[in-house]
Amino acid sequence: MQRLGDFKLPAFFNYPPYFTLQPVRETREKQVQLWKELILDYCRTQKIFVIGLEEEFPLFSNLVIERSLSNEAREAFLSALVSEGRAEWLDKGHRKCLILWHRIQDWADLILSFVKENGLEDSVMTVEEIRSGIESRGTELQGMDRTVLMRALKVLENKGKLAIFKGTSADDEGVKFSI
Amino acid sequence: MRRRPGIGGLQTAAAARDQYRLLGENVAKLRTDLMKEQLATFRSQLEDFARKHKNEIRKNPTFRSQFHEMCAKVGVDPLASNKGFWAELLGIGDFYYELGVQIVDICLATRAHNGGLINLQELCKLLRPRRKSDRELVSEDDCFRAISKLKVLGSGFEVISVGKKKLVRSVPTELNKDHNQILELAQAQGFVTVDEVERRLSWTSGRAIDALDTLLDDGLAMIDDGHRDGKRRYWFPCVSSITSVLADS
Repeated sequence: MQRLGDFKLPAFFNYPPYFTLQPVRETREKQVQLWKELILDYCRTQKIFVIGLEEEFPLFSNLVIERSLSNEAREAFLSALVSEGRAEWLDKGHRKCLILWHRIQDWADLILSFVKENGLEDSVMTVEEIRSGIESRGTELQGMDRTVLMRALKVLENKGKLAIFKGTSADDEGVKFSI
Repeated sequence: MRRRPGIGGLQTAAAARDQYRLLGENVAKLRTDLMKEQLATFRSQLEDFARKHKNEIRKNPTFRSQFHEMCAKVGVDPLASNKGFWAELLGIGDFYYELGVQIVDICLATRAHNGGLINLQELCKLLRPRRKSDRELVSEDDCFRAISKLKVLGSGFEVISVGKKKLVRSVPTELNKDHNQILELAQAQGFVTVDEVERRLSWTSGRAIDALDTLLDDGLAMIDDGHRDGKRRYWFPCVSSITSVLADS
């Protein structure tokens, strides 16, 4: 089986027609389904949050069988993820896509349990600390995309679980938990 | 015999006819009885044989298929019923019913990918990991038998021959001669191009495109526009072996 680093690629990745958008509806549905699963899986294991349509992305070409996805196909697969709430376009032109292998709500839940496990219920942390502090090391929050993190924090703020405030340094914000 | 006149003569002739008929019936009955006896002996010997080689029949696919052939010759169908001597002795009915269910399962699981047509070899390969528990080997002949039993359900399960390969069909699509020829051609590389079909089968372009379009609509083919030469390739998942890994996922 072919691998990308430590990621095991599925068999369909080596079957050339999967790199061409299929014209027949049922065949295409199956194709889109397989690609959606592959993209989510890959992003989750590699901690990739943003895919640029026109940029190099390991899944978009297969050198072994000399095939790569057309822009149309890339957009079709990502759009399918968007319509399921597993991705969001970051721009109107659909050139950059945010991949949500956890939905925003799930990320919010992860933050809550992280806070509880570390006894931080009344503490203050910076946003940066949540992503890269000692406490988050080895958890899913480590290295988390800032945009996604901010969105999840906003969800929690709206529920009254925390307050976001401007920190002393201009480039970082603070979070006061009150769970 | 001189023909005597009168009613007495007629009666004698009728009586003689009756006698002949009776004798004839007796002879025939004797023969049938003898035949029946022979067949009964044969059957009981076959049963003895089955009892004696029970394990081999279960474990060894070649042996099993030869046993089936032998049974067919004397008009015994071990698969006809799940009750009775054969089923009790060999559990052979259950064996094929179970196999049938597993085959249906695989056909459904791979249908979206192959359009309901799967290589018999491929099917066997997919069956193997599912049957690990009982370590009984399954041959293509076994699959063939299990599928022929499925036919009774009227669900369109059938084994068809395309070129040298046997394919299992689980959808009611009828393949015409043109489609068969294309599938046969595709077995070499897993795909064909319109050019290739025209050239190798000496068809007009319209005929080739028409047949390929039908196969595409039926979900049996997938297009591939990604090759360097820019020629569209039509791939047929049912003749390549990618299915196996797909069904695992």
